Amino acid sequence: MSKIYVITSGKGGVGKTTTTANLGVGLAMRGKKVVLIDTDTGLRNLDLMLGLENRILYDLIDVTEGRVPYKKALVRHKKFDNLYLLPTSQVKDKTAVNPEQLVKLCEELRKEFEYILIDCPAGIEQGFKTAIAAADTALVVTMPEISAVRDADKIIGELGRADMKEIELIINRIRPQMVENGEMMDMEDINDILSIDVIGQVPDDIKVVTAANRGEPCVMSHDSEAGQAYRNIVGRLLGEKIPFMEFEKEGFWSRLKHVFGK
Amino acid sequence: MSEKIVKIKGSTDGLQLSFADGADFPSIEREIRAQLESGSGFFLRGTLVSLPDGALSSAERTELQKLFHAYGLILRTEKAAAAAAQFTGKKRSERPAPVPAAPANTDAQVQEMVVVNRTLRGGQEIRTESSVLVCGNVNPGAQIIAGGSIDIRGTCRGMVHAGAFGNTDAFVIADRLIPTQIRIADLVARAPDHMKPEEKAERASIRNGQIVIEPIER
Repeated sequence: MSKIYVITSGKGGVGKTTTTANLGVGLAMRGKKVVLIDTDTGLRNLDLMLGLENRILYDLIDVTEGRVPYKKALVRHKKFDNLYLLPTSQVKDKTAVNPEQLVKLCEELRKEFEYILIDCPAGIEQGFKTAIAAADTALVVTMPEISAVRDADKIIGELGRADMKEIELIINRIRPQMVENGEMMDMEDINDILSIDVIGQVPDDIKVVTAANRGEPCVMSHDSEAGQAYRNIVGRLLGEKIPFMEFEKEGFWSRLKHVFGK
Repeated sequence: MSEKIVKIKGSTDGLQLSFADGADFPSIEREIRAQLESGSGFFLRGTLVSLPDGALSSAERTELQKLFHAYGLILRTEKAAAAAAQFTGKKRSERPAPVPAAPANTDAQVQEMVVVNRTLRGGQEIRTESSVLVCGNVNPGAQIIAGGSIDIRGTCRGMVHAGAFGNTDAFVIADRLIPTQIRIADLVARAPDHMKPEEKAERASIRNGQIVIEPIER
């Protein structure tokens, strides 16, 4: 039975699209047949993260409005031929798709794909309501920052109202050194407020940005801490028991520098 | 679709349930449970639910009461049954509407309490004329506006307004009371900008025209 996840956060800029791209590639690396749906109509980015922008012919709106069958709009990934992207339109807006259309589309995609990941737009308006309509499980992405946690709380409330049964939390862009110094909310503070299951903790890693610019999500690179964190989340999504990783607090070189008083 | 065993009708003061003829208790209970679990918009927290008069034994009523309670609803049994019997043949709306500003503590009126069995998250609001008991946290951005008092079995980080319709005897209790604002009747107190958290349960009430917060045992 295939699984449909929606990746959502409420607040913008916490890493929904990055998470969607990484989990999608991660699942594909494990041999799963995966489709990623971008529902951020008008502000699409998922294609960029995957380096697929120049291959887009049709989009989600063409499919939901019945102009082309969904197969024509799917873009196959360059490296993984079991990973597909269904991009959205850059010229239309969120009102172009409604929840019923997306539910119907996902029912069709379910027959062919094992994992369907829906990248949700920021906010709690129609775009959000459309994106969550078809999903079985919501992955809420947040950051150790009070505004992001506040918005995640709101989103969890909204998901509860929309009858979403399974909700899991990904804490993104953690800076271990700041947490250690007491300058950033730690995992306990966040748990205290949100009190839902945490499925992933991802450190802030400059490689995420460079990887996104290259169009190759960092989950593919084996020297990235964030990449490892995403691979762990993928493992957990597949039902494996993986403990949360310990982040490197300070690099060896910077510690050495401290020793020499610099 | 099979014929529904339990019918739900909205009335001015809550939901009125009625059961299909000859329905047995286990199937009634099963259907109510399914409805509650589906989280349909019918069952808002704190809603009063009344049963048809004489439809169930008192043991069965108690059973249902427990079930509704677990979802934060209040099942009226004897009183509702009596009221329903009294008003047979008349419209329910003929009952006098509650007066919001009136102090709720007249003896004739039985004071009810809204029980919220979950965490209130940012943007969620409880607004009621009665008192409120929250078994869970009140998160930042959530608010409770109650005619009576507010008791939170958990951490209160949101905005709480007790005695919202003028009751100056109302109070607020929480295991950890760190709200953004406390309002009681027409007074407002906000949290100091720098506050060291108190580990004990605390109680806020009005004394000498001011909101006073003091630790309590419980």
